[in-house]
Amino acid sequence: MEVDDLALVEKARSGDADAFRTLVVRYQRKVFAVALGIVKDPDLAWDVAQDAFVRVHQHLADFKGESAFSTWLFRIATHISIDAIRKERSSKKDDIDQVDEAALSEGASGILGTALGSNPQESVLRKELVEKMTAALAELPPAHRTILVLREVEGLSYEELSEQLGIPKGTVMSRLFHARKKMQALLQGYAGLSARPGRSTGREDAEP
Amino acid sequence: MKDCATYAPMIGARPGELTPDEEARLHEHLAGCDACQGRLADLEATGGMLVEALSRAASRRDFATFADEVMARIPANAWKPEGAPKGVLESLKAFFGRHRVLAIASALAPALAAAALYLFIDRPGMPAETALPGVEVASETLEPIVLDTSDGPIILMSDSDGT
Repeated sequence: MEVDDLALVEKARSGDADAFRTLVVRYQRKVFAVALGIVKDPDLAWDVAQDAFVRVHQHLADFKGESAFSTWLFRIATHISIDAIRKERSSKKDDIDQVDEAALSEGASGILGTALGSNPQESVLRKELVEKMTAALAELPPAHRTILVLREVEGLSYEELSEQLGIPKGTVMSRLFHARKKMQALLQGYAGLSARPGRSTGREDAEP
Repeated sequence: MKDCATYAPMIGARPGELTPDEEARLHEHLAGCDACQGRLADLEATGGMLVEALSRAASRRDFATFADEVMARIPANAWKPEGAPKGVLESLKAFFGRHRVLAIASALAPALAAAALYLFIDRPGMPAETALPGVEVASETLEPIVLDTSDGPIILMSDSDGT
């Protein structure tokens, strides 16, 4: 039977190195995945993930158990990841957050939904796109990569995103919208899909 | 629809993340907007793909050395139990942290000792029987000479040139 995280944390606090190693092995891939999504370079993600575990160990005494250990661990990994890409964050805020007509017409709404079919989980196209997804993510600006990973991988709520990123809820929603839109446009490109006549492209937004 | 800029970002909200009023207005908007229905379909179709993609990328990486590398980066003395002393200085720090009165007393002890010496040795008019017995100090010279006498040792301070 698997020992729960809190029991392992308690043991690690008491000096049990094996208990801490168990936590590392348990979460190493997911922490790496989070870091990779944000920093995009696998070697940097490897270092960031290791830093996260070392930092967690340094602050084990501060962990109060108010949230899950994994939540605390991912939060630390996210902070280190964001710090690692700070120099890359040069995009203009408006390009990242503002939802206007140009943003709404980016990509073509419904194309992916239609192409992936009624049961996307079983789609062959889906499997192909999953393989392209990491590359697509790497093409997004850092702020978009970060919010997508926090939302889709870590599962943070709007409120948690607002708190962690230091932006209002409205900005969280608009930034997520932009990030998804860009990701979908890239996936459509990889799949060779384009807007078809008769299908919505978002242009009706500009019509009176 | 002119309101897509308002409602499109709300698509994908989880239950409870929008206010009841926002939810109602989004629902109403979706019912009459093909573009936003398409956006919702795209979102549903691509849901979970990012997690899967990053998990696959992580799975392709060999993690055989990862934990060892992490453990190697943690100093060996960090594995002593929480609260346990990790050295002489840390032991003292921990002890005085628990006994603040002793810490203050220890800090004041040298000053109190100096004050006591001053009071007992050099106080004018002090009765002879209260003076420290057996030691006399002649302070006008620099190099000490100790003489054993029947009254005890006498320390003479002499100049370096012997005068």
